[in-house]
Amino acid sequence: MPASTTISLGAYVRRHRSRIRQGIIFVFVSVAIHMGMPFITRYAVDTLVDGDFRLGTILGYAAAYSLAALAMAACGLRMRRILLSTGHQIEYEIRRDVFAHLARLDYYFFGRERTGDLMTKMTSDLTAVREFVGQGLFQGARTALSASLAFTIMFIINYRLALVMLFLLPTISLLFFFLLRLLRVRYADSQEQFSRISNFSQESFAGIRTLRGYAMEARQQERFGNLNTDYIQLKMALSRVERPLWPAMVFLFGVGVVLILWVGGRQVVAGQLTVGQFVQFSQYLFFLQWPMLALGWTVNLWQRGMASWQRIASILQAEPRIRDNEQTDHSITTIQGDIRFEQVALELEGTTVLHDINWVIPAGHTLGVTGPTGSGKTLLASLLARLIDPTHGRIMIGDNDIRTIPVDVLRREVGMAPQEAFLFSDTLANNIGFGLDEPDPEKIFAAAELAELHPDVEKFPARFDTWLGERGVTLSGGQRQRTAISRALARDPGILILDDVFSAIDTQTEAAIQARLQPVLHDRTTLIISHRVSSLRHADCILVLQDGRITQSGTHAELVQQAGYYRELDEVQRLEACLEGVS
Amino acid sequence: MIKEPEPEIEGKLFDAHLTRRLLRYAHPYRFMLAGCVVLILCMALVQSYLPVLLQAAIDRYLLGDDEPATRIAGLTRIGGQYLGWALLAFGVRYLQSYWMAWIAEHIIFNMRADIFAKILRLPLGYLDRHPVGRLMTRVTSDVDAMQKMVSDGLVGLLADAFVLLAIMGFMWHLSPRLALTLFTIFPLLVAVMGWINWNTRRAHRRVRHKQSALNAHLQEMITGMLTVQLFNREPQVKAEFDRRNQELRGGWFDTVRWISWFFPSMEVLNALSITLVLSVGGWALWSGSDTVTIGVMVAFMAYVRDFFRPLEDLSEKSTVFQSAMASSERIFRLLDEPERIDDPAQPVQLESFRGAVTFDHVWFAYNDENWVLKDVHFEIAPGEAVAIVGATGAGKTSIISLINRFYDVQQGQVRVDGHDVRAYRQVDLRRRIGVVIQDPFIFSGTIASNIDLHNPQVTRERVVEAARYVNAHRFIEALPQGYDTPVQERGVSLSTGQKQLLAMARALVQNPDILLILDEATANVDTESELLIQDALRKVMRGRTSICIAHRLSTIRGVDRILVMRHGELIETGTHTELISREGYYRRLYELLAHQPCS
Repeated sequence: MPASTTISLGAYVRRHRSRIRQGIIFVFVSVAIHMGMPFITRYAVDTLVDGDFRLGTILGYAAAYSLAALAMAACGLRMRRILLSTGHQIEYEIRRDVFAHLARLDYYFFGRERTGDLMTKMTSDLTAVREFVGQGLFQGARTALSASLAFTIMFIINYRLALVMLFLLPTISLLFFFLLRLLRVRYADSQEQFSRISNFSQESFAGIRTLRGYAMEARQQERFGNLNTDYIQLKMALSRVERPLWPAMVFLFGVGVVLILWVGGRQVVAGQLTVGQFVQFSQYLFFLQWPMLALGWTVNLWQRGMASWQRIASILQAEPRIRDNEQTDHSITTIQGDIRFEQVALELEGTTVLHDINWVIPAGHTLGVTGPTGSGKTLLASLLARLIDPTHGRIMIGDNDIRTIPVDVLRREVGMAPQEAFLFSDTLANNIGFGLDEPDPEKIFAAAELAELHPDVEKFPARFDTWLGERGVTLSGGQRQRTAISRALARDPGILILDDVFSAIDTQTEAAIQARLQPVLHDRTTLIISHRVSSLRHADCILVLQDGRITQSGTHAELVQQAGYYRELDEVQRLEACLEGVS
Repeated sequence: MIKEPEPEIEGKLFDAHLTRRLLRYAHPYRFMLAGCVVLILCMALVQSYLPVLLQAAIDRYLLGDDEPATRIAGLTRIGGQYLGWALLAFGVRYLQSYWMAWIAEHIIFNMRADIFAKILRLPLGYLDRHPVGRLMTRVTSDVDAMQKMVSDGLVGLLADAFVLLAIMGFMWHLSPRLALTLFTIFPLLVAVMGWINWNTRRAHRRVRHKQSALNAHLQEMITGMLTVQLFNREPQVKAEFDRRNQELRGGWFDTVRWISWFFPSMEVLNALSITLVLSVGGWALWSGSDTVTIGVMVAFMAYVRDFFRPLEDLSEKSTVFQSAMASSERIFRLLDEPERIDDPAQPVQLESFRGAVTFDHVWFAYNDENWVLKDVHFEIAPGEAVAIVGATGAGKTSIISLINRFYDVQQGQVRVDGHDVRAYRQVDLRRRIGVVIQDPFIFSGTIASNIDLHNPQVTRERVVEAARYVNAHRFIEALPQGYDTPVQERGVSLSTGQKQLLAMARALVQNPDILLILDEATANVDTESELLIQDALRKVMRGRTSICIAHRLSTIRGVDRILVMRHGELIETGTHTELISREGYYRRLYELLAHQPCS
């Protein structure tokens, strides 16, 4: 598991240290050439000032300037390719590792984290890290090298003018850095207002019926207007910092030119500085312009990158609770036998949601479970599929506590069709055959037939190859449920869990599925959760769950004899059926 | 196998029709915009004048033959001038860009307000079809893209053009010979940079597509991860993710290849220009021509680098344009959406309703000919309390939606006080009709704001009075800050029963003449709240026309008349006793209701 052992960003960077070193060498060479180029202009200008020169000399300087630029560009090209690609390579590796880690994380993690937050970490945070690693390292190295080299040269040529520059340039960097920081604060303020606007719109659009019903449109528009007026204020406050940023930089470099003119010009007049050197200095001023700005920018990138990395690392640091550990008995390769819930209790966020469940499902039997919404039916199924572990007691399959069974062995044997089936945007066939190691059209077709999905499939544009989801065919609730049933059945599991999968299927189709399923159910242990008596009546035994406790149990025939939840359910549903029949 | 469809198309760089519509928003600010353009022009001139000063300093004072003191005085003066001009350039630039930001914010303000108002007017059918998230994008990121284009893209482009022209002008002024030489390589420069830019943009676009495909995939995987685990598909899913991840990386590598060309090419072209300046200038000096001086050559070097600057962020600017065009297309498409439900030109004026409601052979369907109401005909007298009962999907809710004109009928008429509902202004109509929903929409705000709905005419006394009347006062007082207790959107902190009481206070506070009540069956209300709700319902219905979609037996028994709906038709009508004695559909329905809630 590479993800959990290396959670420092440095480790990712170190993995590419030879590439980075190579890149830095190119940075060095290109900076060295760049800083050498003003010498050419200086000698050329001095030659011209001298007046008495051969045309060849000056053309030679001119050609040398272009050649130097070519060499520098060649290095610059390599340096960017190497360092920027390394940034993308590292981004790729982090994304790969985080995804691999997500694949290990469990119900507890996904129940706690919001998809939106995880997506932000995997997108904008990752981008911030990549920018820091790619651009940040490259610009940082370049800035540091350019500045030190340029100042060394300037000091060698003329320390007084160099001192002036040394005073001016870092001031610019510092100023830029602080403006950027102020900018960030104001940006955050305006973003906050922006999200207020966005929440307000969200609420207004979601509550549109109420808005209209109470003729609130005018007031709502006015409030929206007020929010936007405040937003303008904040945006203009931001503009007051943001807008002068670039003009101020241009101006400050103008000040640099003036200083060179005043200090350097005096020296030229005094004969202490040649005009060529004067031009050379002004070129350094220009060359340092970008590195000086990049300094503040790089620090910014670094701060953001590190903060983002912390957020990404928080995913990598999360440890799954459901996984193979030292308790796991790897000699278990298949599972069979009765399923026993032994004094099972489950606590979630401090509330006990399942109390003292004791029940045995003999191998090959079908257990029906019903009860009001929120009574813990789905949790019972989740325990059996080991999406969550009980806080007390244990669940046995045959002679093994399910916590000792390797997770993938258990899951291989459990086929679950959940309440809200998650279907992937893929073809129908791939969704049904999702749990198969090898796509097998025959198994897929057979599973679809069992779930009465095939008449619908006939009507789809590309039958089993029809694409599902937002960009393809949108399935109705009943079709989704039947696809989920097929998906669970296609794996031919020893233990089948159907969690309220008939709720959106009409009664006739349900009856047809029930008829097809009966022989299939004989070969396996089945848990059927439902609110419908028609789905439960064939079960070998039915449990009624209320507030996390088993309140009734027995066969359909037995339960309709007892006063209680099940009989009420049966009566209401018969009345409903009767009502439908009235003409 | 059906191929995965491509994500939506990119916007064009420029679209004349869209631009014209955009300009309509700019119209109120046209004079300010003109002022801005003048400022941009000034800025370009001032900024490009600076190298001329440099030239003068070098030729006249650095290289001059005058007394050192005169030369130093001259240098000091020119330095001072330079500083002054630079400061002016700064001022003009700042002013212009701040001004432009102001204009852009205001243009966008109007646009955002229009979009918001439009969405509030759109037919409910449209809103049902389009997820809220997508509508929000219209007022948020789409508008933002436009804002960026107006404040930066448009002006940036203009400023760049002016600067380039100004530079060329000053170059010509200093030395036509050097200027002409440089002009010859400008086409090359533009061609090369344009080519690299075009390729970079293309590579970027590919990356964007791959990135959004990967993000969509990732989001799906995160949402479905537990399903993946249930089916032991982790290795397969990881392999698939890795494939897409590698594809994205490949796209980035492509982009890096082009980006890496950009600055080095610019540096080479820049050096080439300087080489030209040196050689042509040097040759001129060598041949003794006085058309070129050293100062002119240095000034030209400064111009060369200024000339390159606008080209640096060309790529960014074109992206701004492109996304703004795509956004504006989406925005205008929304603004052009037909509203269907219009207010009449000469609406019937009204102070209040007596409260007579008539359905005159109404036929209604949400779409096509799937009739939800078939020839429904009934009359409700002012002050009468009526319950509508029927199985799910019988058309009960549609009756309510037609009375306050959320939808229009296809045939027949819905009349309130003898006038077709289409004859009133929607706002007038709805202001006099109160709707009570079982699971009311709770806005984020306070308890009080959820009752008065931000209507300034409703005083706090009135709010408290209404709350007291519907038995909501007690629980509100018990909250930490009473009526000012903040509530979150969707009211997570309130129980179902409390929300229902709040809904009644909300309806009552505006003292409606007609009350529409959607009394859906809910199981999660405790007995005490249930009693409070029933009592409140009885009280609010008193003295006004009320139409109630009823599930509670107590409500049904308490009304003057019951309308029984089945499959969109009105099949029985009468009092509870009459209907029960008829032994028809109502009787069975009643028996079913007697069993609920069953928990």
